[in-house]
Amino acid sequence: MAEKKSGGKKPAAKKPAAKKAAAAPVAPVEHVPMRNPDFPVGVDYYPLDEERRSWSDWYDRDPEPDFAAMAASRISDVRVFVSWRCLETQVGQYDEDAMERLERIVEAARAHDLKLIVCFFADDRLAEMNEVPWGKRRDSRTDDYLIQRELSLVQKIVNRYRAEPVIKAWDLGNEAFCSGFETETALEKWVTELREAVREVDPDRPVLLGVDPETLLRETGVDPRGAIDLTERAWSHLTAPYRAYIAEGPVTSGPATYTDSFLLRAALRDLPVVVDGIGVHALEFSAAEEAAYVRTALYSALMNRASGAMLRRWRDLETEKREPYFRDPFEVLVGVVDVTGAPKPVLNEVKRFAAVAARLDPRRYALAPERAAVVIPAERYESLPSLAGLYDPRACLQAYIAAKEAHVPVTVAREGDELGGYHALYLPSPAKLTPAMWADLSAFVQGGGSVVLSYGGGDVDPALREIFGVEFNGDAGPRHAFACRVAQPGVLGDLRSFDARMDLPHYGLVTASGAMVVATDATGSPLLTVNQYGQGKAVFIATPVERAIAQNDPWATPTPVRHLLRTVYGTVASAAGAGAMLECDTPEAEIAHFLGEDDDILLILSHNAEKMTATLTTPRTVATVQDVRGGAPAEVGGKTFCVPLGPNGVAALRVKFG
Amino acid sequence: MTPTRSSQVLVAEDLARRGQLPAAVAACYEALAVNDRDPFVHALLGHLMLEGDFYDEAIAASTQAIELDPDCSPAYLALGLAYDRRGGMWDQSVLVWHELAEVVPDLVTAHVQLGEAFAAAAFEEEAVDSWRRALELDPKEARAHYNLAIAALKREGMSTALPTIRKAGELDPSQDELFFALLGLPAERLEFDVAKVKPEAEARLFAAGMLLRAEDFFGASDLVRLVLDEDPANAEALALAAYAYLKQEAANEAMACALRALTYSPDLPTALYTLGVVYSRFPGLAKHAARVFIALAKAAPQHSLTHVLLAESLLGLQRYGQAKQAYRAAVRLDPACVRARFGLAAVRLTEGGYAEAQWEMRRAAYYDTRRQGNFWRLYDAYAEGGDS
Repeated sequence: MAEKKSGGKKPAAKKPAAKKAAAAPVAPVEHVPMRNPDFPVGVDYYPLDEERRSWSDWYDRDPEPDFAAMAASRISDVRVFVSWRCLETQVGQYDEDAMERLERIVEAARAHDLKLIVCFFADDRLAEMNEVPWGKRRDSRTDDYLIQRELSLVQKIVNRYRAEPVIKAWDLGNEAFCSGFETETALEKWVTELREAVREVDPDRPVLLGVDPETLLRETGVDPRGAIDLTERAWSHLTAPYRAYIAEGPVTSGPATYTDSFLLRAALRDLPVVVDGIGVHALEFSAAEEAAYVRTALYSALMNRASGAMLRRWRDLETEKREPYFRDPFEVLVGVVDVTGAPKPVLNEVKRFAAVAARLDPRRYALAPERAAVVIPAERYESLPSLAGLYDPRACLQAYIAAKEAHVPVTVAREGDELGGYHALYLPSPAKLTPAMWADLSAFVQGGGSVVLSYGGGDVDPALREIFGVEFNGDAGPRHAFACRVAQPGVLGDLRSFDARMDLPHYGLVTASGAMVVATDATGSPLLTVNQYGQGKAVFIATPVERAIAQNDPWATPTPVRHLLRTVYGTVASAAGAGAMLECDTPEAEIAHFLGEDDDILLILSHNAEKMTATLTTPRTVATVQDVRGGAPAEVGGKTFCVPLGPNGVAALRVKFG
Repeated sequence: MTPTRSSQVLVAEDLARRGQLPAAVAACYEALAVNDRDPFVHALLGHLMLEGDFYDEAIAASTQAIELDPDCSPAYLALGLAYDRRGGMWDQSVLVWHELAEVVPDLVTAHVQLGEAFAAAAFEEEAVDSWRRALELDPKEARAHYNLAIAALKREGMSTALPTIRKAGELDPSQDELFFALLGLPAERLEFDVAKVKPEAEARLFAAGMLLRAEDFFGASDLVRLVLDEDPANAEALALAAYAYLKQEAANEAMACALRALTYSPDLPTALYTLGVVYSRFPGLAKHAARVFIALAKAAPQHSLTHVLLAESLLGLQRYGQAKQAYRAAVRLDPACVRARFGLAAVRLTEGGYAEAQWEMRRAAYYDTRRQGNFWRLYDAYAEGGDS
């Protein structure tokens, strides 16, 4: 591949256009803000940084140096955690010294132009912030008396700072605290009461609940979406237990690098979503791995419509010198500076990221719309003994990855959502869909939409025959090999025949009754069919391939299987008008295309821990490509150019067409 | 007293043994509806959740089973495996494996897993003791060898680790199976009468291969000799002879036969395999071994072990980058290849990729313990009320 040796990670024009660039005119110097107010980067500032400290040491330190370092690193938001135990030492008596500590934090934030998000009820399993001694071990989430005391505390703090511009938002509780709720009703009641208490005093500033709808559901079985809808901001984050469930494996490659953005997409409904808790969960990673992971998570947030990003912790927790060490699934141990306060490589990543984010003015650039969606089936909310609630999120993550690998602008929807805005839908391995969803699918395809459905086991709805044009003859059960024989080359992209060693949990025996058989298994049983139904297309995969990828080894999926899935997804999306706006030869390069009037911005993120070069082909002739942070533009003069990417590297390019 | 199982439990058990996960889970819940204090059901549920890789659920169910009956050994196994596969719970894992190793002292896996939990918690000496104990029980326990190699690598570097890696490789029974796969023998063993073998080279070589697999070296030699008497340039017969010599530790003769076979058929995989294995046994011939295994990996790229053999020879030459590529190729072809996973871990460690190395070792343990099927052995013993 002819690459212009431009050094570093600058884009290189491909040969036809790599003629010695006549020194392109340097753009006039424009004022670039230090931070992007529309995409703030924040950090959680925990009260204790040493395990040997006690609850009474809550923020008993000078925050000034830390806040100065944060401001220098282009961090703009800081979340601080209220200690009920320190503040209300006896019923109705608030400790002035503790109030003074909170005041010191506010002053430090004011001095460094930082914004504070105040979290009232949090559990970090160290500072015992909610364990009021007079609470007599009653549950502070459900006990009426304690809730009344909580309301008083909240109103006291909000009242004190209601005119304080440094306060950006009120966070009612973090996920570790909220995981103690046992029902949706109890959570919603608590949120409603606290929110009203805040609103009585402060009618303006946003109130939020620091929980992720997916991770909390997984942890507790409580669906917090109703409670989140009572607030003004939504949060999304990956917890250690959820990571162990959905993508346990190396954090700098494979599914782990897509998990943050998958959760973000799943959390995006009507409210703006901040990606929270960015950072590794354990102490076992090297500084370089931490930095690579944080870089991936930060850019994933920016590329997938987040409204901001919050880092997991400012300073490493200094743990006691004892082994083995285990704190808790919700552990927050790893920060962006070490125990001495010295910055770790990850802080440089944050700084660089903030510099890039500052160049992305949402008034000038808009992310290309997503017309394709991975649909989470309603059965995902079923509890055991149904295994759908366990299988479906994993299958949906694999579908999301396949769509990303096909460079399809994709989002996550749920069964029952309005489908009118989409052109292509992916339904990964559902065991069943509701009759209403079948009706919606029928209308969607008839109206010109395209659907990819993979068989999820068991019986199927009669609507399968109508929409997908196949007759279902039963489940052939599990298989230990995945064979594909292409019968109709070119119909669903560049498919190839293969035999791969892979366990398949089910294989649906179907015969075509109107659909075209595009590929079969080794015995001739249809594997992949496509049916024209009304104005749209319905593609059926006879095996739960997304689930199979998730349940085998997602870090070692046979290459042809991944190729099959992303080719089908990409081809279907393109035919439906929901495909990629540009072509890229590297599946592991995620691309976000921000459209502007004069130029576009491309963010290209590598999900690979090795170096690679992505070759991009655009439908229009590219005049110049330039790093968004500045530097001389490189002339291209063609439709194709190459972008070298380091391990888990990122390129942020301003592209001018001509 | 022998614990008794209800009919609902027997239904769930039957479904679980047949690998019907969703149906078995549903049956377990039906059994729980009848009696939610039955340790069998909770142990089964723990195992089923582990099979689905739902570790938190497996931990919850297995813990429940142990609470109901602290002697429920299959629940300990499922619990320990769930802790290990989930990661980040090494201290709990150490306790569980320690307990299981006390309750079922001859369970080799418990000692191997205990060692891995110790190692993850940075108790290196205790880890080594556990793996040595495992090898006392089963000197062919490959994962214990590999773990010892990794421990040596961490302490003193690759040169100390390599002999143990080689030793573990020599004990690997799948390496012999590779030879027979390269020969084109079917996976299943066929019974036949040597006297009725057709007097044709192809039939005789097939029969010789079957006899070699059954370690009947004399019978195989007779057939190979017949072929070579008729055609001294028959490369496949020479390769079989080389393999027979190799299995009888006659390295020079094996080398001579393999080389002769390659003069007649330079890409013959069986000859390449035998020659490469002979070379790899002599540290001074590591470069030769690598060259031969490169040719073998090209001639038979569909077999993961050919890439493993190449990677191991490259390790000896300290070509870690190339070794990593070869190991990766092997893992892509067979994610369950414990040998490739540990090799990749070793390479990762030399590069400083500690977390990635840990992951590879965890995956090796994952596949190895899945393959062993110890749960049912412990479960059946527990059901009978006797020792496992």
